[in-house]
This record gives sequence, structure tokens and C-alpha cells, in this order.
Amino acid sequence: MRKSALSGGLLLGGLLLLVATNACAGGRQNSLDWLKTVAFAAHQTEYSGVFVYQYDNRVETSRITHVVEQDSEYERLESLDGPKREIIRHHGQVWCYINRKMVQVGSRQAHNRFPALLPEQMSALSENYLVKEAGMERVAGYNAQVILFQPKDNLRYTRKIWAHTDSGLLLKAAVLDDKNHAVEQYAFTQLQIGGAVDRSWIKQGTADSDAASGKQAGKSSRAGMGLAVSDSLPIMHKVPETAMSGIPVNSGWVADAMPAGFKKIMEVERPMRGKHAPVTQLVFSDGLSAISIFIELSDEDEDDVEGLTSRGAVNLYHKVVGKHLITVVGEAPPRMVMQTLDSVRYNGK
Amino acid sequence: MKQEISALMDGELFEDEADSLLELVKLESGAHKDWEMYHLIGDVLRQPEYIHCGLSAKVHGRLQDEPTVLAPRVRAVKQKIRTFALSAVASLAAVSVVAWMSLQITHEAAPQMAMQQNGLHPASAQIKSKSNDYLMAHQEFSPSTDMNGGAYYIRNVSYSPDENGAWDKQQ
Repeated sequence: MRKSALSGGLLLGGLLLLVATNACAGGRQNSLDWLKTVAFAAHQTEYSGVFVYQYDNRVETSRITHVVEQDSEYERLESLDGPKREIIRHHGQVWCYINRKMVQVGSRQAHNRFPALLPEQMSALSENYLVKEAGMERVAGYNAQVILFQPKDNLRYTRKIWAHTDSGLLLKAAVLDDKNHAVEQYAFTQLQIGGAVDRSWIKQGTADSDAASGKQAGKSSRAGMGLAVSDSLPIMHKVPETAMSGIPVNSGWVADAMPAGFKKIMEVERPMRGKHAPVTQLVFSDGLSAISIFIELSDEDEDDVEGLTSRGAVNLYHKVVGKHLITVVGEAPPRMVMQTLDSVRYNGK
Repeated sequence: MKQEISALMDGELFEDEADSLLELVKLESGAHKDWEMYHLIGDVLRQPEYIHCGLSAKVHGRLQDEPTVLAPRVRAVKQKIRTFALSAVASLAAVSVVAWMSLQITHEAAPQMAMQQNGLHPASAQIKSKSNDYLMAHQEFSPSTDMNGGAYYIRNVSYSPDENGAWDKQQ
């Protein structure tokens, strides 16, 4: 009697476990699909809105406008408080303006323009994070699906994202530390998806070929590419892509203590402002966060080379190792960034 | 009864049977004696360093002998605290005198200590504007850039009030 009851209970428990595991696997699949949708929507949706970015006890308000022309995106970011700062992104190029003065041009490698998420990064994600849907919430007047990414070790931050249920646009994102305190938060307070998005800031100087193709499609004829408003930005200069993004190399540098799931996605030698020689940059990513390692010959006159600084979820750690200045930057806890730097060594080519 | 107790000690009874037997042992002094005796036999067989014979009875007896304190001596305790507080104040004063003296002697030691503390509390140190280039170079390849468009780029040009205009100076 006892035994039969016991075995019955075992069987039931086993069944329940099986069902639970299945449900769990299904849920994870859906949550990861959300991530793909979010990445896709970020590139393919036209929107304009105001968002707040909160970090280190500070709040900044900015306006973002994202326009999709034929096969290329234009994005404009303007700070609404503090000194006027503006960032324009187009076709892998990044222009930075402070008080209407161009201070920086960055570039992203062409093949990295629409990377979305690679399949191997997705599998790394589910290996290193517990991914689950955490209900529905309202953000900026839109319904959002909440998805939680809980790391399985203490070398990553917890991520919480709010994705618009219809378009998949990211409406809110929070990075939490191991005590569940928000390290940084980003949230739309006002957002217009689709419709008549302001295009007056897109100027002819940006890229002639793109403007032409845009006109051919008849999509931007109304916007008046080339008929820029007088108070808009100075003409953007097209910078040769290789000039800023660097040349792929096999530098021979390695980081032994890189946590599980972080795969090398790039290794280049790139020029950097104020540096005499090219800087070697290695980028590792686990699908949600990235870690960059910069290696350069150290200047003798660097004043405060060693130390850890942070801005929101990004931690930056500098250290002189032998003749080199090594800098590690990443959206990861200080512990992880420091551990990574301390494991960097030259392995030979 | 004795067999049952033995079986209980060997863990051969089912839970409900064990419960009822334990109730019985508590109530019947004879059964209780048997319980203790069996444990003593077990202890002897295991040859421990000490054999506890009638320990519970002895503890009970000692507790009975303890005097009952009806009015705790509050004043005495207070007095103690006061004495302690006074001595603490005195030692604190001594420490601050020493600290003041050491500050007078090694004036340059203070900034060094502050710098070390900065290293210990990294969260308080903001990324400097001159490191913005690293942030920018990193941001280009971060997955977060794909997730929310370029919104995170705002982090690269975030300003701090005390570093106002640092961007302009760089040019």
C-alpha cells in the first residue's frame, strides 16, 4: 500500500517535472525571440521620441529620431539638458557635435551594420543567463512585454527590458547589480512610432549616393534632402571607413580570464584621437554585454593611468603592464573588468 | 514495549508508530527509564570518551538550586555603562590627540591615503572626458547598440558639471 502510493507520487512528480521543463524551454525560446525582434525593430522602425537616461544618481533627457531610408538608417540624438550635444549616425558613421562643433567621428565596420544577434551568441545567452518573460507593463503609453535576463554568475549584470508588444521597439531598459539596484536605466517618456517623422536634419552632405537612392525610391522627396534648414548642422564629412574603424589583425594578445560565453567578435588595429600609433582593440561579447580591450604603448607622461572609473553600467579600467597601457571597457561589474585586465597577456603571433 | 523502544532506536519503526511510542515514553516513567538505559548501553558499546549517566537529572537538580532573582540590580548596570562611556570618551580623546599629532608630523600622508581609498571605492569615480574616445570605440560594437538604436551613445557624450567644456578643449 505504502509502496504503491510512493511510486505513484514519484511518477506524478516526474511527470510534473517533465511538463515544467518543457514549459521552461518553450518560454526561453520565446524570450530569446523577443530579443531578435527588439534588435530588428531598432533598425527597421521609424520613430521619434524623448527618453530619460538615469545613471549614478543623475538623469539626462534626450530626443532621438530614427529614420529608415532605402537600406540605410539615419539617427539623430540630441541632449535636452546641459550643454547642447548631438550625435548623428548614418551608414555605420557616427558624428558627434558639442555646441554645433564637430568633435568626433566614429565608424563601425560595414559588415557589422546589421548584425542583429548571431546564433552562437543566442546559445551563449541561454547558457549564461536565465531568460524569462516577466509580465506586461505600460511604458510611455504603450503596452510592453517585460523580459528578464538573470546571469548565472556574478560577472555579469542583470538586464531587464521592456519591448513594445506591437513593434518590438525597446521602450525601457534597466541594468541591475547583484543587489537588484539599478546601475542605469533608460526609458522613453514620449514616443511616436511611424507616421511623419522629422527628416529636415538629413542633409545632402551626408552621403550623396544615399540621398540619390532615397529619392529614387520616392520615400524622401518630401523631406527635401539637400534643402537643409539654415540652423541645422554643419555639413557632415564623409570619412573613409577604414580610416576610423581600423584594420583586422591577429595581434597576439589574449585575455585568459574571460568569463564563459564571451566570444571574440573583433580584433583590429585602429587610429585613435591623440594617439601617435594605432591602438589594438579586441572586442568580446556574450550577446548582451561587450568587453573591449585596448592595448597601446604607454606614454611616460600619462598622469593618472591606473584606476577604475565608471559611467552607469560601463566600467573602465586602465593599467600600465610593462611597456603597454591596457584599457578595458565594458558593460560589466567592476570585478569582471578588473579581472579581465589582469589576465591580458601577449601570447605571440 | 522494550522491543518497540529498541526498534525505534534502530530506526525500524514507521513514522506514525514512532510518534505514538514517543508519547508513551514521555508519559510512563518505566518506559522512560528503559529509553535512557538503552541509550546508555548504546553509548558504552560505542566507547566514547565520557559516558553521560543521569545528565538530565543532574541539570534539573542544579537548576532547582539556582536562586530566583526577583529584582535585577539596574543601578549597578547603569553605573557600569557610565564608567565604560567615560573611559571610551577618554580613549577617543587620546586617539584624536594622537591622530592630530600624526597629522602635524606627516602632512603628506593624507592625500596618499585618499588616493588609495579612491581605488577601493571605484563606483564614486566618474569616467573622465578624456576617456570618451575609448567609450565611443567600444560602443560601436556593443550589442546594446543594436537593441535600443543609438540611445546608449548618449553615455559617450554625457557631461559632468565640473568638466564642462572639456570636449571643446580637446579639439
